[in-house]
Amino acid sequence: MKPSGQTEPRQFKPYLNGLLAGSIVMTVSHVALSGVALAASEKSEESGGLPQLDFSTWPTQIFWLGVSFLLAYLLMWRLVVPRIGSVLEERHNRIEDDLRRARQASDDAEQARMAFEAMLASARNDASETTRKATESITKKMDRKMETANANLAKKMASAEADIATARQAALKDVSDIAASSAIDVVSQLTGLKVNKTDAKKQVKQAEKAIA
Amino acid sequence: MHSPVEQFTIKSLMQLELFGYDVSFSNSALFMMLAVIVSTLFLTFAMRGRNMVPGRLQGAAEMMYEFISDMVSGTVGSEGRPYFPFIFTLFVFLLFGNMLGLIPYSYTFTSQIVVTFVLALFIFIGVTLIAIFKHGTHFLTFFVPPGAPKVLIPFLIIIEVVSYFVRPVSLSVRLFANMLAGHTMLKVFAGLAVMISGAGGVYAPGAILPFLALVGLTGLEVLVAALQAYVFTILTCMYLNDAIHLH
Repeated sequence: MKPSGQTEPRQFKPYLNGLLAGSIVMTVSHVALSGVALAASEKSEESGGLPQLDFSTWPTQIFWLGVSFLLAYLLMWRLVVPRIGSVLEERHNRIEDDLRRARQASDDAEQARMAFEAMLASARNDASETTRKATESITKKMDRKMETANANLAKKMASAEADIATARQAALKDVSDIAASSAIDVVSQLTGLKVNKTDAKKQVKQAEKAIA
Repeated sequence: MHSPVEQFTIKSLMQLELFGYDVSFSNSALFMMLAVIVSTLFLTFAMRGRNMVPGRLQGAAEMMYEFISDMVSGTVGSEGRPYFPFIFTLFVFLLFGNMLGLIPYSYTFTSQIVVTFVLALFIFIGVTLIAIFKHGTHFLTFFVPPGAPKVLIPFLIIIEVVSYFVRPVSLSVRLFANMLAGHTMLKVFAGLAVMISGAGGVYAPGAILPFLALVGLTGLEVLVAALQAYVFTILTCMYLNDAIHLH
């Protein structure tokens, strides 16, 4: 919609021009009429006095005033006023109706927005609830798995430690045999003497005791 | 010389007689009928589309309707509704009468004192009857201004009664005198222009001066024609308001 401040001067100007043009046209006609009347008045002499005060013309004017005004009243009352009035009323009703419908639509939109927001909020709630539950169950499962894994691990560690212990025991037994035979070899190589196996073992055992 | 008031002469166009009275169809009667016909044709033609969004003509017709409608509800209030068709007719009749009268070679029936006086008298009697029917004898309190000192009351009653009965006279003379003066002045200036140009020679160009004055006066008379129709109508509304609400 255009602001009224801009449109008004533009609308007003053509009327002024029209008034001026009309005035000039009417003036030319008036002058022409006066010329004709001036020419005519040279022939007939004026009686003088206001024609309005010539009472002989009053009955006809009163009669025709009555007739024309009554006719005008009937036409306006029966034809023109209802016609314009109904159009104005129709427009008024239409505007009222449109405004009412717009208000209704706005209310509906507001309600829809509120419903949407409620839905959104509940969906958000549901989502966070689901997330919380999922996290909880995952944590629980993880804890359980960790426990079993730890238990298995401990079991395996214990058996491995036991294996290592037996292996070490076996290895240690071999070590003294190897040491004894090595000692026999070393002595025979160096001195050419023969050491019997039992003495060598006895010496190794003594050495082991000394180290321990 | 040719008289500037000759334009107001009643010329009989068709001889008619009714119950011994001369009711000849005259130039005045012709323009009364023309005002009725032109106004009705204009208003019905303008409204022919019955558009929701009015065009120029329909806008003009609706403006006239709403102008009078607002005037009636503004001065009389909701009780004025039943009189709206009459007030509207009055305004349209006078407006078109005044405007048609401004067209050269036409006749201005509102420049006839008998026409304006009969209209004003009809309104005066009608309004008084409405007041009497509405308020009975209580109507007489209208002539006693409320809150006036007791000593002054007899004088005030005389003044109020006189001013009340002068209403039709002032109402009719206002319109009649405006039309008479305006049209006489137009004729005087037009005659002056013709006379000066008729003098010939070096004087002839001087005719432009009354001619220019006449252009201005014609514009002014258009304004006066609308204004006097408005004034007559709004005073009628005020009298009606007095009749319905007293003071």
